[in-house]
Amino acid sequence: MLEFTVNGESVRVEVDPGTPLLWVLRDTLKLNGTKYACGRSLCGACTVHVDGSPVRACVMPIESAANRAVTTIEGLGAEKPHPLQTAWIEANVPQCGYCQSGQIMSAAALLASNPNPSDADIDVAMAGNLCRCGTYDRIRKAIKTAGARIRDDRAAVRDDNRSTVT
Amino acid sequence: MTQSRREFLQSSAAIALTVAIARPTLAADESPATPGNAYLRVGADNRVTAVLPTSEMGQGTHTGQAMILGEELGIDPSQIHIEMPLRPAEPYRLFFGQMRSVGSYGIRAWYEPLKKAAAQVRAVLLEAAGERWRVPVSELDATDGQVVHALSGRRVPFGELVEAAAALPLPEDPPMRPAPDTNDVDHTTRRVDVPAKVDGSAVFGTDVDVPGCLHGAVRMSPVYGAEVLSLDADSIEGFPGIEAIVPVPNGVVVVADSWWRAKRAADALSIEFTDTDDATLSSEALSAAMREGLEGDLPPVVRRGDVDAQFQSAVKTVDVIYEVPFLTHICMEPLVCTAHTRENHLELWMPTQGHDIVRMTVERVLGFTNEQMTLHTTYLGGGFGRKTHGEIAEQAILASRAVGAPVKVMWSREDDIQQGYYRPAMMARLRGALDANNRITAMHAQLSGPQMGRTFEHVTVRDNNDFFSVASLIDQPYAEHFAMDHRHLDVPMPLSPWRAVSSSQNGFFMEGFIDEMAAAAGMDPVAFRRAHFEAHPRHLAVLDRVAEMSQWDAPAPDGRHRGVAVVQSYGSAVAQAVTLRMERERPVVEHVAVAIDCGRAIYPDAVEAQMKGSVIEGLAAALRHEVPIADGRAQRSNFHDYSPLRIDEIPDIEVSIVDTGAPLGGVGEPGIPPLAPALTNAIFSATGKRVRVLPVSARRT
Repeated sequence: MLEFTVNGESVRVEVDPGTPLLWVLRDTLKLNGTKYACGRSLCGACTVHVDGSPVRACVMPIESAANRAVTTIEGLGAEKPHPLQTAWIEANVPQCGYCQSGQIMSAAALLASNPNPSDADIDVAMAGNLCRCGTYDRIRKAIKTAGARIRDDRAAVRDDNRSTVT
Repeated sequence: MTQSRREFLQSSAAIALTVAIARPTLAADESPATPGNAYLRVGADNRVTAVLPTSEMGQGTHTGQAMILGEELGIDPSQIHIEMPLRPAEPYRLFFGQMRSVGSYGIRAWYEPLKKAAAQVRAVLLEAAGERWRVPVSELDATDGQVVHALSGRRVPFGELVEAAAALPLPEDPPMRPAPDTNDVDHTTRRVDVPAKVDGSAVFGTDVDVPGCLHGAVRMSPVYGAEVLSLDADSIEGFPGIEAIVPVPNGVVVVADSWWRAKRAADALSIEFTDTDDATLSSEALSAAMREGLEGDLPPVVRRGDVDAQFQSAVKTVDVIYEVPFLTHICMEPLVCTAHTRENHLELWMPTQGHDIVRMTVERVLGFTNEQMTLHTTYLGGGFGRKTHGEIAEQAILASRAVGAPVKVMWSREDDIQQGYYRPAMMARLRGALDANNRITAMHAQLSGPQMGRTFEHVTVRDNNDFFSVASLIDQPYAEHFAMDHRHLDVPMPLSPWRAVSSSQNGFFMEGFIDEMAAAAGMDPVAFRRAHFEAHPRHLAVLDRVAEMSQWDAPAPDGRHRGVAVVQSYGSAVAQAVTLRMERERPVVEHVAVAIDCGRAIYPDAVEAQMKGSVIEGLAAALRHEVPIADGRAQRSNFHDYSPLRIDEIPDIEVSIVDTGAPLGGVGEPGIPPLAPALTNAIFSATGKRVRVLPVSARRT
């Protein structure tokens, strides 16, 4: 029996040792937003966060997730849509959409550490996420839009705090 | 008394205004339009539903179709629910007699029928409102899902009118709204399928979750066409969760309670396949066979004018051989199908583009009629032609029948790349004659390679003219005197339409060759093409546009080189101009200008997306994609050796939509064909060397 957290909820699973996290999410927990596309950490379609860092669920043995916090696309905007999800909708980013959960999870990890990424920062963070439909320029645009909103929100919170103090 | 929600939905669903959408007709289509059960329905609950047969695989067709309906009806497209029928039927079939999401037909074939159905619905809604308010219909308009009487300020939702409107006769020639006269890219119309694609809730074929469903992974012969000779079930004794090993053509499906368990067992299974003559096949042998096929007289496809006489009087001639490799589709979602096979009924859940092919597969495998099948179409995680076949349905049907439960069969990425269904490899010899005025007087195009149509059970190749081999050669705009031949070559691997089908290779052959003709004439590639486009205003318009966008008439910036190509396919003319620099003898593409004439662009934002996606796909294919064959097996396996471009590899892409008043054209495919020749023509401009064999990275000549 293995225990870990998925999208804020504690779960216990009994699966074969070595089963990749991806298949526990999909076949055991029925969280199908995380996709299989290569099985070898080559395309990023299965990207989730483990303790806040992006990982490829298709090659992460479930033992490595024990007692850690996993966030999937279903949990990213559970309370309110993540700014990336809003920006993605506004820019009509997806075509087929199959890689987009992974794209958004990689982008969310990027913006969490750097809400003002340059084109080069985006290239580095997103180069492991393949989009066979070729939606890259809209991905880049949506990441920048979301980053700007996150920065604005933070500035607004800072202003609020300041006015509360004075 | 309060009504339960369920009762309300039932009663409101009973009152609805339903209008049949006619079977689409096209210029090429001689058959009469047949009304049927493709329909547009407005419910008393204001729900607007259209049942239409085009699968959504990322091309944006559902949104485009909703826009056509919404524009005419007077309701926001986001309020229109596009649903897929549960089996193929006559009203959904295209002019070639099949319900399939192919040929870039989703908008161009359905525009007129959709517009008419929506206009009919609007007409009777207005009439019903006119009767209710006792005002003339001419004072009424439909907007935002309501009928509005501006003079009195009265409004009524469509749903309140449907009972009265449904009793009125439908006008045969309803008044239609004029089409907007702009092709400007409007980024404000949101895709109807996108919200579900950003929160993980969209259901692709891989995500179908049927109660009690088991999972299947495949183990198939690595040599095309071989069958299972023997297998040792004991070799996976003790593997947990295994339910069955089910024989299927060319291999087995291993069924287990999870895909991971099924896959591990399938990989570990000790299995032997039959020996076949194809086990020694290689790409080199195939190339040699195609080259041999170009010798002597080839079986003719078409003869126009007097080609021989023109060559005899030619001032200059060009005679070259081009070649393209097998390509695979690498849809991000691999092949998948869920089947529940019962004694007298089959239920399928599938990301398919080929509904009638699935029907034919079901008939062949189970002997079931169309009515004994229910086919749920999910979102497709990419299609590109790959998901038009029935092989995965057959595997899932057989697996489900064997275990008596629903089974979801999914291929691994390796299966997806190695099991064939490739864009055919092809060789072409092109000869051209120039007169003293540098005009092309005659051309002779000869193809040597597989005629894909011969491999499909539903297709007949007549007069050596293979529908899947000739497009963008047979309709070339350059020469009045034209001959075309094709010598077929049998190959063991299954073949498949790949985005833009034969135009993907023929566009490369023709436009690479035309650049060589321009060089022989000593003319600029744009000026040379222009001189041949007098009678081809669409070609000319898109060529002029990309010349402008790439500043063709000014010298290229230092170290930059340009190439251009123009190809008409799927009813649209597309020109592309590639600007690149060479780094250590390798091309780095910096900018691609794209101009498309697809008639009026129904959904310009999707046109832009499709053009950019096509450039990115076409570039990856031309630069580095091929499936080489050795020992009868594919020599590629996953994204490390067959990768789409990454975000840091894409050029700047600029898209312009040109409207010459032409009929509606397709959009999903015609962006592919010009890219490879525009690229290789730019490489010639940079290096003086012609690339006549793809991919560029293979450096074969």
